Amino acid sequence: MISLLLVILGLTLIAIGVFFDFVGALGLLRLPNFYTRLHAATAGAIGGAVVPMLGASLLALGAEYLGPQRFFLAGAAFASSILLMILAQAGSHALARATYISQGAPLEPIEYDALRERGRGGS
Amino acid sequence: MELEYLVSTVLTILIPFYLTSFLLYIIRVVKGPTLSDRVLAVDSLGYDLAAFMVVLSVLLKAPLMIVSALALALWVYALDIYVAKYLEAREMGG
Repeated sequence: MISLLLVILGLTLIAIGVFFDFVGALGLLRLPNFYTRLHAATAGAIGGAVVPMLGASLLALGAEYLGPQRFFLAGAAFASSILLMILAQAGSHALARATYISQGAPLEPIEYDALRERGRGGS
Repeated sequence: MELEYLVSTVLTILIPFYLTSFLLYIIRVVKGPTLSDRVLAVDSLGYDLAAFMVVLSVLLKAPLMIVSALALALWVYALDIYVAKYLEAREMGG
């Protein structure tokens, strides 16, 4: 009974992950410039990569037919999801900061830039 | 085994969705006007590929694939940090 519950939970998490993955990919295509695409990319990276890995680890725990190797699968999937949760944010933050400092990407659809206001002593 | 049948059918249904989102990421990699767009697309493509490999390793009963998914995630993170450093360092060096 428990394994069926775990499998169902894992499969729903993986399905949610696939949905976020698709939404992130669409957002990356449709949004106007780099800084707005950052939101879609991190949503696609966290929802589309960390959540399915958590789902896969639950699924692996529940899948009795895999035998004893399923614990390795569950542990490794959980470890990589935790690692990915940290890495995805740090990587895209570093990229965003560098792009903003080096004006690598156009800002045109954004009118109000709070960071530049603060730079000039704004509110 | 009814459980195995359930898991394998649902996962095989999800695989084409994964492949379409990879295609959309690749379109952004090709189209991206600036370097940062391309790196961002490769970044999320790599992370989602790692997640896809984890899901595949459950489907194909091959737990060793997760080690490569972990390595892929680390390398994509390294790409991010390197490009960020290159973008800033080149600007400071100018």
